Amino acid sequence: MTGLWLTQILAVMRLEMKKTFFAKRGVWVYLLAFAPVVLYLVHSINNPLERQRLEKIATDHRVSTQALNSIKEGATPDEVIEQLGEPYKKHIDSHRRGDRDYEYGSLRYTDGEVDVTMRLYDGRVVRIHRRRLDNLQRSQTMFATSFQFYFLRLAIFFGCVGVFVNLFRGEMLDKSLHFYLLTPMRREVLLTGKYFAGLLATVVIFTSSTALQWFAMLWQFDRSVIADFLASTGGAQIWAYLGVTALACVGYGSIFLVIGLLFKNPIVPAAIILLWESINPFLPAALKKISMIFYLQSLSPVNAARDGNMPPLFSLLISPTDPATPAYAITGILLLTLGILVIASFLARRLEINYSTD
Amino acid sequence: MKKTPDDRITLDNVSRFYGEVLGVNRVTLSLEPGITSLVGPNGAGKTTLMNLITGLVHPSRGNISVLGIKPSQPHRLFGTVGYATQFDAFPKGLSGFQFIYSYLKFSGMASAKCKRLACSVIEQVGLEDAAHRKVAGYSKGMRQRIRLAQALAHDPRVLVLDEPLNGLDPLVRAETIALFRRYADEGRHVIVSSHVLHEVDMISDQVVLMSGGYVVAEGQIQNVRSEIKQERPMQVLIRCNQPGLLASKAFEQDHVVEAQLLPEGGAVLIKTRDADRFYRSLNHLALVKGMQIDGVAPADDNVNSVYEYLIGGEEVSR
Repeated sequence: MTGLWLTQILAVMRLEMKKTFFAKRGVWVYLLAFAPVVLYLVHSINNPLERQRLEKIATDHRVSTQALNSIKEGATPDEVIEQLGEPYKKHIDSHRRGDRDYEYGSLRYTDGEVDVTMRLYDGRVVRIHRRRLDNLQRSQTMFATSFQFYFLRLAIFFGCVGVFVNLFRGEMLDKSLHFYLLTPMRREVLLTGKYFAGLLATVVIFTSSTALQWFAMLWQFDRSVIADFLASTGGAQIWAYLGVTALACVGYGSIFLVIGLLFKNPIVPAAIILLWESINPFLPAALKKISMIFYLQSLSPVNAARDGNMPPLFSLLISPTDPATPAYAITGILLLTLGILVIASFLARRLEINYSTD
Repeated sequence: MKKTPDDRITLDNVSRFYGEVLGVNRVTLSLEPGITSLVGPNGAGKTTLMNLITGLVHPSRGNISVLGIKPSQPHRLFGTVGYATQFDAFPKGLSGFQFIYSYLKFSGMASAKCKRLACSVIEQVGLEDAAHRKVAGYSKGMRQRIRLAQALAHDPRVLVLDEPLNGLDPLVRAETIALFRRYADEGRHVIVSSHVLHEVDMISDQVVLMSGGYVVAEGQIQNVRSEIKQERPMQVLIRCNQPGLLASKAFEQDHVVEAQLLPEGGAVLIKTRDADRFYRSLNHLALVKGMQIDGVAPADDNVNSVYEYLIGGEEVSR
C-alpha cells in the first residue's frame, strides 16, 4: 500500500511541478525571491567604487577619525571648519521665516572609511549622519536584518501564498481539479503529493535565492577574506540560513495549503496571518509560540538590527522572550506543520467539485 | 450473469442542496447493470446525480453505494468507476496521450502497462493521430472523445457518462453507442445522461426521468409507459386495407378511448387503456373480417412520448 501511495504522490508531483515552477501567474514569486539578490549585487558593485571615491577624497581633504568623532551636535560651522579643515563638500543656503533669515545646509567629511554628513540649521550642527562602508561584520547584520524582516516575513510568506494557495484553489478556478478527484487515490495522498510539489518548488526557489544573496553579498570582498569567513563561522551561518529558508517553506506552505482549501479569496486570511506574524514581538511568550516567525527567528544565526526608527512606546511593548533552542524550534515548526496538514486532510476528504460557485 | 446487491448502484433517499438551491431531492434508485439513461431538461439534476454517484459532491442526506462501495472512498471507487464529466478543462500542457497515461499512473500500474492501455483506449476512441498533440488544441468533439477515453482507460465495471454523445460526428456517435452496448452486454453499468431522446430510446435498457431535482419515473421505458396508461392511453398505429372498418370495430371496445383515421389514408391511430386486449381483438378482426394488416406499431411507447407526458414541454432536444 505504501508503495502505491508513493507512486501516486510522485505522479501528482510530476504533474504539479510544471505548474508550480513555470506558471505565468507565479512570475511575481520569482521577483519576490530574487529581488534581494539584485540589490546585493548592485551593492557589491557599488561598495568598492564608493570606497575608492572616499579614499581619494580623504587624500585630498585629510581628516582623522578621532577628529571626526570629536564633533558634537550644537557646534557652529566655523568651529567645525576650524577643527577639521575645509569639508570636501559644503552647501549653505538661507530662507526667510517671519522677519528673520535662517541658514541651513550641510558639511561633508570623510576619513576614507566613514562618510560623515553634518546637517546645519540656524548656524548650528543639528544632526550628524555617519555612513560606513561595508565590512564583513556589517554585511552579516545587514543580511540578518533583510532576511528576517523582508525575506522571511514578506518574500517567503507571500511566495508560499502564491504557490500553495493555488494548489487546490487555482485548479478550482481553472475547473480542472476534477481530474485528480476521478483517480483511485485517497484524498490524503493527493494532498500530500500537492504539498510536496509546492514544497519542492518553494524550497528550490527560495533556498537558491538565499544562496545567491550570500554569493552576491560576499562578492565585493577579497577571496582570502571570504575563505577565512567560510572556514570560521560563515559556512555554518549559510547552512543555517538555508535551513531556516526551507523550514519557512515547510511551515508557511502548510498554512496556505489549508487556506486554499478553506477560502475562495485567500487575501483576507493571508493578511490576518501576516498581521499575527508581524505583532509577534509584542505578544506574550505563550502566544508567540503559536506562530512560525518565532521559531524561524530563533533559528536565525545572527540577530537582526533593531529598528532605530521604532517609537519608544512600541519598544516598551516588545515582550522579551528567550529564543527557542534549535531542537525545540525545529520540533515546533514540524509539529505545527503536521497539525495543520492533519486539518488539511480532513478538509480534502470533504472537498467537492462545485465550479459554478467558485 | 447472476445479480447480487453488489451488482447494483443504489441511492437511498438522497438529497443534495446547494445552500437554498435544490440539486436533487429524495432520490431512491436501485440501478441494475445495463445502459441507464438519465433524461430531463437543463437543471433537472442529472449532473448532480452523476456527481453524487462518483463522490464529486457529497449528499446532504441519504446513502449511496456503487457496487457496494461508498463514493466517499475514491481509492476504491475509481478502480471500478470511470466518469466522463462535462467539465471541459484539462490539466495544462498535456497531450492526449499524457492525459490518459497520467490518469492511469494513479492506479499504480507499471509505466509499460499504462502506455499500452493509453494507446489502446486512444485507438478505441479514434484519436491515435492526435494522441501527441496538446489537448488544449483539440476540437470539441476530440475533447469529448479524450474524456471518454479517460473513463474507459482502466476498463471499469461502471461507466458514468455525462452527455457523452455531444459534439461527436455521426460515425463516431454510432461507434460509441455500439461500445456502450458491448459494455452493457458484458454485464457492466453504463449510466448516460442525454438530451437527445431518440438516442436514449435507441440505447437504453432503463431510463430515469428527472425534473426539478426529482426522479419522476424510472425503469424500462415500456413499463414506465404502461404505468401511466390510465391518464395517458397507449397509442397504436395500424396500417391496413380497411381503416374505417377497423376504427368502427375498435371503438366498440370499452378500453378504446379514441380511434382516429389518419389523413394520408390506410392508417388508423387507436388510443387504448389496455394494449394487450386491443392486440388480441385485432387478431380476431383480422381473422373474422379478412382484414389485411400491413403494420402495427406502438406510437407513443418511447422515451420521447413518456418524457412529454411526464415532464411536459420543457426544453429538450428530440
